[in-house]
Amino acid sequence: MMVSAVEPEQAPLLARPYYRAEGTSPIVTSLAHVPEALEVAMPFVSVVLGPGAVDVRTKELVIVRTSVLLECRYCVETHSAVALDSDVSAAELRLLRSAGTAVALDSERERVLLAWVDAVAGGRGSVPAPLGERLREHYAEPEVVELTLLCAATMMLNRYCTALDLPTNPATLERLTREDLA
Amino acid sequence: MSAVVEAIRAERLGGRLWLYANYHCNLRCMYCLTESAPGVPRRLLDPETMVQRGREARELGFTGLGVTGGEPFLLDWMPEVVAELAGILPVVVLSNGTLFEGRRLAALERLAGLPVSIQISLDRPEAEANDEMRGPENFAKVIEAVPRLVERGIRVRIATTLEDPAAYDPDERDRLCALHRALGVPDEDHVVRPIVRRGRAVAGDLGVVAGFGELEPELTLTADGAFASPFGPTIRGGRLDTDLLVTRTTAPLSVPAAALAGLAGGRDGGRDARLGIR
Repeated sequence: MMVSAVEPEQAPLLARPYYRAEGTSPIVTSLAHVPEALEVAMPFVSVVLGPGAVDVRTKELVIVRTSVLLECRYCVETHSAVALDSDVSAAELRLLRSAGTAVALDSERERVLLAWVDAVAGGRGSVPAPLGERLREHYAEPEVVELTLLCAATMMLNRYCTALDLPTNPATLERLTREDLA
Repeated sequence: MSAVVEAIRAERLGGRLWLYANYHCNLRCMYCLTESAPGVPRRLLDPETMVQRGREARELGFTGLGVTGGEPFLLDWMPEVVAELAGILPVVVLSNGTLFEGRRLAALERLAGLPVSIQISLDRPEAEANDEMRGPENFAKVIEAVPRLVERGIRVRIATTLEDPAAYDPDERDRLCALHRALGVPDEDHVVRPIVRRGRAVAGDLGVVAGFGELEPELTLTADGAFASPFGPTIRGGRLDTDLLVTRTTAPLSVPAAALAGLAGGRDGGRDARLGIR
């Protein structure tokens, strides 16, 4: 980790509500250096990445695939574990973590979504209009906005976690090893 | 009415904005909150910043300014800045009182008649006991300095910091009060407070433990950010404590002021928190 983790007994006043007795994410313990940023960022992350109108399985597909494209070790590992708890199978995770995802999933709706994610997170410049049109055939406008924000926020977190080289929870790594996903 | 003004008027938030001018000091006191000494990192607030934050404080509804360190008067520009701050709001400056002679004393003459008080530490009524905690010759220098300031029309407060004020020996207190009166400092300008177990006092196993619940919320700016109390931006083992950090943002002042007013909202009103530490 490129910066120190702010330990619980040194947690600033605005950061304390985000510390957990069972262990605190390194995103929180690093952001705690700037508590006014933490105070805004964590509720934002919680709303965008957490439960919303879009179901959690779909969200985790977007998060993991985006993180794979951005080559964020921390986010891929951490959200692989979350995805397993969100009705994403280990086999599907292996597809998400490989190159040919967009054609390999069973659901046409999810294939379209992931092709669009590949263009948003993996491409540069404008997103091809036909991909957007296909996405709109499967998702309502509020869902498109939520998914776009999710993909963009994940990219921001990917770069944050990668640049600071945040460590993955050892228990998460153990679980991924058991699932042959390490 | 802004949340900051409301909090100050309701006495949930102290009316004084504290400015940590520096962290270096000519002394090395055993209970120093900031591990101040000669040669430590200075963590300076520059004069322009201090004055600008002082102006913002007045606009936000603060009622006074405090300057502390380190020893603020190690900075040659301090008398001039204190005079300028006193044109904005009443000022109290915390000092060890050991530097007031020669050119430094002459520079302080500009403070005469201004709403400024210099709060000087004097812990014990006898030199040997006093200097045990604060260093050689501290007592002698202070009792020479205080009348010099008083004679020049500068208000002086005496701060006595004790391991346990509740167990203060009445005879010793009487001797100390007789001393400060003889030096020209009236009883209303004498404060007694406990050592707070932060900074160097931790290693010495001294003082009382004080967190956010025990300290009066008073916005405190340093080169490292804004804190919830002047007892907040302490140094232990060379590292800055952040448990009482409010924001890294110090400008505009409205950012940390609003944040601290919000944090203070969950506390009971009243001038003193449980320990009565000022």
